[in-house]
Amino acid sequence: MKRLLSMTSPERVRELILILLIVLVSLFFSSQIPNYFNARFFNRVSTSVAITAVIAIGQTLVFLTRNFDLSVGSIVGFTAYFVGQQLTRNNDIPPALAVLMAVGIGVVMGAINGVIISYGRVPSIITTIGTLAVYRTLLIEFSDAQTVLTAKLPKWVVDLPRVNIISFGDLDIRLVVGIMLLVVVIFQFVLTYLPFGRRLYAIGSNPEAARNAGFPSQQIVFIAFVLSGALSGLAGFLFLARFGNVTVVAGQGLEFASIAAIVVGGVSNNGGSGTVFGALLGAIMIDLLENSLIRWLAISEFWRDAILGMLILLAVASDKLVLSKLRSIWTRSELQITDETVVEKQEAEHHVAKA
Amino acid sequence: MEKPVIETRHISKRFDMTQALCDVSLDLYPGEVHALVGENGAGKSTLIKILTGIHRPDEGEILLDGKAVQIHNSQDAQALGIAAIYQEPMVFPDLNVAENIFISHQDRGKFVRWGKMYKDAEAVLAKLDVKLNVRSQARGLTLAAQQAVEIAKAISLQARVLIMDEPTASLSAHEVQQLFKLIRSLRSQGVSILFIGHRLEEVFEISDRITVLRDGMKISSKLRSEATTEGVIRDMVGREIKDFFLKGATKRGDLLMSVRNLSKAGVFRGISFDVYGGEVLGFAGLIGSRRTDVCLALFGIEPADSGEIIFEGKPQKIRSPQQALELGITYASEDRRKLGLTMPMSIASNISLPMLPRYMNVLGLIRRHEEIAAAEEFRRRLMIRAESVNVPVERLSGGNQQKVMLSKWLNANPKVLILDEPTRGIDVGAKAEVHHMINDLTDRGLAVILVSSDLPEVLAMSDRILVMREGRQMGIFEKAQATEETIMTAAMGQNHNVAEVAA
Repeated sequence: MKRLLSMTSPERVRELILILLIVLVSLFFSSQIPNYFNARFFNRVSTSVAITAVIAIGQTLVFLTRNFDLSVGSIVGFTAYFVGQQLTRNNDIPPALAVLMAVGIGVVMGAINGVIISYGRVPSIITTIGTLAVYRTLLIEFSDAQTVLTAKLPKWVVDLPRVNIISFGDLDIRLVVGIMLLVVVIFQFVLTYLPFGRRLYAIGSNPEAARNAGFPSQQIVFIAFVLSGALSGLAGFLFLARFGNVTVVAGQGLEFASIAAIVVGGVSNNGGSGTVFGALLGAIMIDLLENSLIRWLAISEFWRDAILGMLILLAVASDKLVLSKLRSIWTRSELQITDETVVEKQEAEHHVAKA
Repeated sequence: MEKPVIETRHISKRFDMTQALCDVSLDLYPGEVHALVGENGAGKSTLIKILTGIHRPDEGEILLDGKAVQIHNSQDAQALGIAAIYQEPMVFPDLNVAENIFISHQDRGKFVRWGKMYKDAEAVLAKLDVKLNVRSQARGLTLAAQQAVEIAKAISLQARVLIMDEPTASLSAHEVQQLFKLIRSLRSQGVSILFIGHRLEEVFEISDRITVLRDGMKISSKLRSEATTEGVIRDMVGREIKDFFLKGATKRGDLLMSVRNLSKAGVFRGISFDVYGGEVLGFAGLIGSRRTDVCLALFGIEPADSGEIIFEGKPQKIRSPQQALELGITYASEDRRKLGLTMPMSIASNISLPMLPRYMNVLGLIRRHEEIAAAEEFRRRLMIRAESVNVPVERLSGGNQQKVMLSKWLNANPKVLILDEPTRGIDVGAKAEVHHMINDLTDRGLAVILVSSDLPEVLAMSDRILVMREGRQMGIFEKAQATEETIMTAAMGQNHNVAEVAA
């Protein structure tokens, strides 16, 4: 038992539980919805996860430092529209340049957030509520209330969501999913192996200690917002490819979807804990629920959001409970490893009792 | 003789009204444990903050290996090999032990090599003879273990000067011995330790030299072999009672409140005292003596677990401030900003806040003119200096804020008024006014419980003084027996006989 515990951590176990829950949710819906699990549904969910997860990863970086980024949905909308319009006007723009453009816009918008929050010391929740509105207004102003149309986009963009990397029977792993997985791997690496990543955890875990340790906290938080912007830009490009038609409301609500995803995925809203892999699992859970509820005729569409919201609340509430239980199991086993500590405790108690 | 590792020369530092440090020179030799003792507010913390770069001295210099250095921030201190460990360890709860040890290192390459880091962390801990799983999260560790992690971090950063600010305050007896073992092992490795402590027996056990600060000045610095407990206590106290208004003898009124064996698990226990009308009961003790926690229990903010409170002859369980207010107990908190006053609101609104129902008309709306009239009354009585009672409290000086706070609680017509550090951070004139007012209140038959870290103030103002130490009552002294020495001796836990007799 002890060895088993030392090989893993409460956070890992929680991720395993989440995987289990995803399976259970799928099983539940397949018992309720005829022909629930098919290739079309898999692609639908996996493509929408690809977008949510990329944003959620950026949101994770920001969350780790005890901040929020509520402007991600507007950044997605703006980049999707802007890049879409450029491609409509000039069908010859090479794919790499289009992606670069999307990421670049995201970087600029993220940097604006970062400067205001890190160096201007305005709380992130206020800053990004502001930029959420500002970036959205920019989009409306810029678009002149016109829509980017699928028909006018270059063929490669329209075909992108259907490009396959590999198929397992009926199930296709699409290129967009591949891009998302690459982002997951890169950022899991950044958070685990780069000093920058570790410092994101440190800052959120104990800001005062981070200051005392002499970290350039401002700079690190700034970079987290820039990366969140960049990933939202990338997601904006994926959004354009997926939907083709981009209106002025594109990406609205993604800020909440991304926060829901990472909170379900175990990223702490107090900062300092959470993983990219967890964020991915959270995104899968959210999109699976949402798409399944759409198909579940027992639920009226007006109730769908309410049910989704309640499930998220339930998940987060039970998660806190589960995690604290798990942690206490680990702490207790930790105490047994050093038998001395136990003796020490008993002695301390004895001391108190005597006195 | 060896040369000192670090020296401070003629350091002075002033914060607004208070001279925190005045011409303090201190040196620390390699492999020495140098203890720094003094009352609350003697300047120990300021000195530490100057050495770790949080504050800059107004005058004087810091020398490292005989060369003057500038310490602007914690990075500078770290680069110079100065590390500090506080009473509450500063670990990152979400990171594991190994990461906590190495998080500040700049020299561990572009990537985190986990395997190597675990091995290095184990090596550092082994060198210190500390048994900890380097993979476990810091969150689950005991305070003692977290301290060990911080010490390991300092050692891994090649710290030559380790400042320990009351490291034993939250440790059990056994853990203290573990820590001392660690300190001795560091000393034998040539690390210099500046040890700030409140428990004299520990100071005498661990240190090689003892320096006493009082009112920001260095009073004495002696080798342990030459120092005595009595001598150190004498040096710590001995302040002049010049700014104080001596409380006149008032007639002891009726018994208002009896507290018997009040306890709260892990915080305080066995607190028993009586409070009579017209009397001031002083609460003395050092930081961490849990005086404020007892007050919070009496006022129902953090209710006690066990024990009796008998108020005017009837046993009461005080579970909320509302209940305490109804009985006639009020509490003016130590921290005006955090607990006491609503800064952006006006003087009048602050004063009426706990008693709002009194000012409401039938519709539940507040009768503003009555609220203002009441506030005006207090403004005159307590001489609150403000152009009107509609001024936001944040615009007032500390002393006047204090008076607004007192008005607020006096407005509740209390029978027992608890004042927690009522004169901290206010100037001498305002202090005297607060003292006058306390006298005035007891003349009217109120009972005052006065919590103060200012020993001369407690001595001057109180009829009886209850001394606490680490959550325990060390004794109650009548005015006649109370001197700075007896109080300080009890507060530092030196004389157990006194405690047992009085308790």
